[in-house]
Order: sequence, then structure tokens, then C-alpha cells
Amino acid sequence: MTSLVPAPKLAGHGFAVQLPPRWEGRIYRRAVSSAAGSSAAGSSAAGSSAAGSSAAGSSALPRTPGRHPAPLPGTSGWIGERAFPVLHLANFALPASRGDYGSGAVEAMTAGHIFIALLEFGEDCLGSALFEPAGLPRVRAQQFNPNGLQRRIAGQSGFQHFCTENGRPMCLYVVLGSHRQARALAGEVNALLDRIEVAR
Amino acid sequence: MIALVVLDTVLVLVLAVLVAGLLRGYATVLNRLHQLDSGGAPAAGPPFQTVASVPEPDAHRIQGRQEWAPAHDVAGVSLHGEIVSARTVGVEHDTVLAFLSSTCEGCTGFWHELAQPEVLAFPDGTRLLVVTKGPEAESPPALAELCPPGVDVVMSSEAWTEFEVPGSPYVVITDGRTGRIKGEGSGTSFSQIGGLIQQATQDSQPLKRFAKPPADREREEDVDRVLLRAGIGPSDPSLYQPAVTRAAELDEP
Repeated sequence: MTSLVPAPKLAGHGFAVQLPPRWEGRIYRRAVSSAAGSSAAGSSAAGSSAAGSSAAGSSALPRTPGRHPAPLPGTSGWIGERAFPVLHLANFALPASRGDYGSGAVEAMTAGHIFIALLEFGEDCLGSALFEPAGLPRVRAQQFNPNGLQRRIAGQSGFQHFCTENGRPMCLYVVLGSHRQARALAGEVNALLDRIEVAR
Repeated sequence: MIALVVLDTVLVLVLAVLVAGLLRGYATVLNRLHQLDSGGAPAAGPPFQTVASVPEPDAHRIQGRQEWAPAHDVAGVSLHGEIVSARTVGVEHDTVLAFLSSTCEGCTGFWHELAQPEVLAFPDGTRLLVVTKGPEAESPPALAELCPPGVDVVMSSEAWTEFEVPGSPYVVITDGRTGRIKGEGSGTSFSQIGGLIQQATQDSQPLKRFAKPPADREREEDVDRVLLRAGIGPSDPSLYQPAVTRAAELDEP
């Protein structure tokens, strides 16, 4: 079933995506308490009170331990937290309550579903080895790993990559509903990545 | 000895002729079957049609779908400033859109029931979106006080216009597969409009199929056999003549 209306464009906080059929998305920047942001401590963490510790793998920056799913924007973070934009894209219905790395949403995924999170980090991350790769990557099926998930869910696999796009340090985190369909789903992920615009 | 060799040779020749004849016969049969099967290409019959009173045999046919108004995707912001683009068209799930306001008294029952998930008996796989007017016409703090945590609220005046919402409270049920509205109306609470939701969901289910009685099946098989024997196949144009013409022919002496 295709719609005759033009594809919706999701834009805000320096992100823009022309959404293909079936895909929806959300962009937010978590509100932090007035006390937050006054300290430099922890400023390198992304704009997110984190859905737990690091996402897939061990290369993520340290994050404050949290509960799952993390509270969505509107709640305050930890003292000293700085909030940065987060983009969520999915080819299924995104629930209102989600963690930055998709907790609360990935549990509802089925085999053909894909969840993409693009999280911005602080300027102090610029120039670090972790964020050295330039530009958003394109994924290959072999890069997805069931152990690459924030929290392992049977059948799913994940991919995480840190990079700098247009002078903004980013983390791309992708979850596939089915590791067995990684080859087909990776193509769809790349089609979405082609549509993401990151403003300088 | 010579006579035996000659006899053996003759027998071999006769058997060879018999085998060749059999192979040729098989080839002829296969060739005829191939011709009957339209040379391997699918038979190009006339467009499928049924008598007006007979429903199309489509498992996914949905009653009244042509009359349903088109649905729209919902774009707006959440109570916390999240930029939202939610799909209701071209998706697997149905969506219940509850158009509510922070100021309408009739919405109180809806806000109250949103805090009681056990009361919201939506069909499996159905998504609930509460849609209020945009921040220019609504008060996010007031809505935040009314709305229980975890409820998906999208502030979008555009959605109100696109769905032609006459006022609040108003509930619209969209069919994700067809991208059309399959039910809409107003009430005092989700419980009250539960019937509307149930009816809309049932209407979109495929028509139930019943096992055909053996006598009917045998009769149809007999008719098919007679027609085929007369050279009338499924794509024969004579089967699709207008009823008026057929009746006129029958009336002729």
C-alpha cells in the first residue's frame, strides 16, 4: 500500500530526513534540570540520559547507569549533564517512551523491523580517536552482530559506529529485527542513511 | 547358426520399431498437453468479474473500503518538544487517533481512562495516538498535567485539519493497510466508543469462509465437467454475456 501524498520530512535540531514509506521518526533533545549543564563533568556524554550504559560493544563513552526504558525528554538528567539532539528512525510504530538507544522500542520489533538511532555528542569529543571517522557510514550485513546490542534480544543484531559528520560528533546505532535477514535489511538501512542530512 | 542370427536381428529391428512408436506416441501426447496448456503461457482470460450480488473472492477484501475517506500521517511535536512523524498510512497496524483538548469538559473521561490501561481494550496491534492542537492553540503544561506518563501525545493542528475533526473529543480509527479511515465518532470515554472501535475492526476482517456442502461441490463439479465437455472453459466469453442479453435469448421462440 503506498500513499499518494508526498513523503513526510522530519526536520529539527540540525537533522533532516525524507522518510520513505512505512518509516517514521522522532527528533528530540532531552530537557535537563537547571542544575544540569552547570558542570563540565560528564559533558562528553551524548544528549541523553542514556538508556543504560554504553550501547552496543564496549567502545561507547561512559554513561550514567539507568533503568529501562529510560524516561523520555522532559525529565531531567544528572547534575552536569548536557543534552544533545537524538534522531530515532524506525519502520515500525515507535512508542512514546524510549531510551536513547531504543530501549522500550526494540522489544516490540519483529523480523523485518529496523531501528536507527543517531546521537550527537559534545564538542569536547571532536578530534578524539573514537570520533575520528568522517561522515556517516554505510553498513554491511557482516558488521551486524547479536552481541552488538545494548541488551541482547533473541534473533536481533546490532551495529554501532562513532564518527564526525559536518563537525558534529555522532554515534550511529542500528538494530535489526532479524540477524538472519541482515543482508536484506542492511540495504534498507543504507537507503535511510542516504536520506539523513546533518547540518553543520 | 545363420538362421538364429538373422532371427535375432529381425527381433531387434521389430523391438526398435515398437520403442520408436511408443516414444513418438508419448511425444504426441506431451505436445497436445502443451497446446492445451496455452503453450506454457498463462491463459489470458477476460478480466475477473462477478455478478453484482456476489462478493469478490479476495481474502483481503474489506467491506466498504471505497467509501472510506483517506487517512493521513500525523506530524507534530510531543508535550516535551519532541519532533514527531507518526505513520498511519501504509503500515501493518491500525491506529486509534483520539483528538482531545485540555479545555473541553467532554474530554475528561478520555484523560481519566488513559491512566487506566486495563480499560483501554483496543485490538491487538492497534496503536493509540492522542492528538491535540498545536502549541499555538494548546497549553503543553496543562496537557502534561492531564496526560498520564507513557501516553503518546502529538500536538498537531495540521492533523485536526486533515482529518476534518469537528471538535473534541473525537476519535478516528485508521486502517494501516488501506490507508483509509474505517471509523470515526465522538463519545464521553474510550469505554463508550469501544463499540465503534470493535465494529471498525471487525469490518476490516476478511470475510469468513465456510466449508461448502458436499452436495453443492459435487453439483458444481458436474456443471464444470459438462461445460468443459462442450468446449466451454473458464475464459469462454459466452460465460460473461450481460444478463439482459441472455434473458432475451432465452425468451426468443
